[in-house]
Amino acid sequence: MTVAAGIGYALIALGPSLSIFVSVISKKPFLILTVLSSTLLWLMSLIALSGIWRGFLPLKTTSWWPYAILILSSIAFQEVLRLLFWKIYKRLEDTLDAFADRVAKPHLFLTDKMLIALAGGLGHGVAHAVFFCISVLTPAFGPATYFVDQCSKVPFFLLSALIALAFVTIHTFSMVIAFNGYAEGNKVDEYFVPIVHVVAGVLTLINLAPGGCTVGIPLLYIVAILTLFHCGRMVWRRLLTENRISLNHS
Amino acid sequence: MESSILESIGVEIIGVMSPVSICMFLVVLLVYSLSSSSSPSSAVSDIRTAANLVYAENPSDTAAQKLEGALLNALVFVILIAIVTFLLLLLYYYNCTSFLKHYTRFSAFFVLGSMGGSIFLSLIQRFSIPVDSVTCFILLFNFTVVGVLSVFGTGIPIIVRQSYMVCLGISVAAWLTKLPEWTTWVLLVALAVYDLVAVLAPGGPLKMLVELASSRNEELPALIYEARPTTVARAGSRGGTSLGLLVTGVTAGEPSSAPSSSSSSAIELQAVSRDNKDRNVNDNLNENRDYGGNEYSVVAMGGFGGERSQGGRNDEEERSPLVGNGGGEGGIVDEERHEGNESRGGDVEIAERGIKLGLGDFVFYSVLVGRAAMYDLMTVYACYLAIISGLGCTLILLSVCRQALPALPISITLGVLFYFLTRLLMEPFIVGTATNLMMF
Repeated sequence: MTVAAGIGYALIALGPSLSIFVSVISKKPFLILTVLSSTLLWLMSLIALSGIWRGFLPLKTTSWWPYAILILSSIAFQEVLRLLFWKIYKRLEDTLDAFADRVAKPHLFLTDKMLIALAGGLGHGVAHAVFFCISVLTPAFGPATYFVDQCSKVPFFLLSALIALAFVTIHTFSMVIAFNGYAEGNKVDEYFVPIVHVVAGVLTLINLAPGGCTVGIPLLYIVAILTLFHCGRMVWRRLLTENRISLNHS
Repeated sequence: MESSILESIGVEIIGVMSPVSICMFLVVLLVYSLSSSSSPSSAVSDIRTAANLVYAENPSDTAAQKLEGALLNALVFVILIAIVTFLLLLLYYYNCTSFLKHYTRFSAFFVLGSMGGSIFLSLIQRFSIPVDSVTCFILLFNFTVVGVLSVFGTGIPIIVRQSYMVCLGISVAAWLTKLPEWTTWVLLVALAVYDLVAVLAPGGPLKMLVELASSRNEELPALIYEARPTTVARAGSRGGTSLGLLVTGVTAGEPSSAPSSSSSSAIELQAVSRDNKDRNVNDNLNENRDYGGNEYSVVAMGGFGGERSQGGRNDEEERSPLVGNGGGEGGIVDEERHEGNESRGGDVEIAERGIKLGLGDFVFYSVLVGRAAMYDLMTVYACYLAIISGLGCTLILLSVCRQALPALPISITLGVLFYFLTRLLMEPFIVGTATNLMMF
């Protein structure tokens, strides 16, 4: 039974991304490569961050401000990284378009660009879930479970899987939003993404308070749903305008 | 709706990465399921191979002793491997090809039979599968015989051959993960260095072996995973060359486009391509008249240097449907070009038909990941990502250099680096934040 529980926790955290991977990503090899490289980028950022914070850890205090500094600095670092990722992607897009000219194939469609952004976001999200949730999940396969003091009603593994799911959603779709925002020069989208990230990170601070997880996790899910909704609306709008343009041209 | 280029790029890379991933994943599963059963001390102690001839690691030894012993072990192992490789080279030089083939078959038999058998046994014990010894023996024997036949057999589907290669890799890797910890790490690094020397240095045994094989237009009689595309051959080879082209496009654009925008790379790419199209009209004509001319055209193109010849070849690929090469004929062209071109790889090679990866690379990647699995899941993911990205870098380099490249050095270096970074730096960080339910 414990193996089943462990697999269940892992699927809670990664199930949606797994289905995205199987249904969308795995059909196009280039997207798989994008997922892998984005995961690697995220891992490297995490290693760099932990290298910086290594000297101060483990934090012995129970006060919240060191954690707040940690989270805010990490988020700032990762948002800078997202800009870097965008720069790399921009050059890649040019190369791909040039290559498409070479082999007499059409340029990247709008949907292709969105798929690449989705793959990049999925890589970030999966890396997040893998390192923050799955890697602490190892004991869940054994014959016991674990509770933390602040949230003593629910097993720790379930909590971390739930939080990880929210973060996977946020990471995956905020990358799509961010790339579109950068491409269009849309200021709202450009600022929407870091703000969502910061809000989500700060919301997890509520978990430090006793019983805080009953408040923090629903709020986190509201943020995740908001991101999802915003992304869906934006993609819908872009696709409509794209269709209208192509109809006008033809 | 026309298919976009996203579907055609990177087919080859995925074709190599997926078996490597499968191999690593299965080794990790094996290590997990087997190590959790027996007590940790007994699982480690009782093997004696060439890799720990000199020094058997004792948990109570000091770090210096362990390091010294591990270095000695690695040295002995690498020297043994070098001797064996030179022996094989000698045998190959004196045309004992059939002996080598039989030897390879025998070793496949031995590996599948003994190491695979011991893995089966421990799995049966672990999950208490009710099976009697006769059935088990017959099953094992069948499995082994099919494996041996598939190594050099002709009429066997490529997928069977590929899966047996993965099985061989898993058996050896699972066996080698039983080595003591320090020895494993030092051994991996030593092998990466050896690989680098043996493939790239002038007079390196693998390099000589590869050159010898390419001068004789033969397949190397060795255990090599061939990522020949299982579905449509043409689509796969297109993907490989397209990757090469893409990469050269990037690198060609690099020096000029660093200050300015990257539009210049596009221009350069265009220029190259037009240049090559002109040249290749002739080549293509040659080719279509008779296939004897093909050899000539390949040789002529070989002189253009790496990126040119890639662009040219891709053009041919593009053009061949236009000038009416049928599917079967195209296959022959590919075959011939493969032989004429033969950027033969002891470790990896990109040919028109696919990339080849030595089985040793499978084994040592999996050993690294399996060893990482004994520490924690986190290190497994980090090492997996590092190895895969190293493999990707190697493949990209391969499509630029178009010569045999060692696949171990980049991946192993990255893997070892990420293992220790993860273990020393990241784990306290992650555990500290995640157990407080904080994420970002």
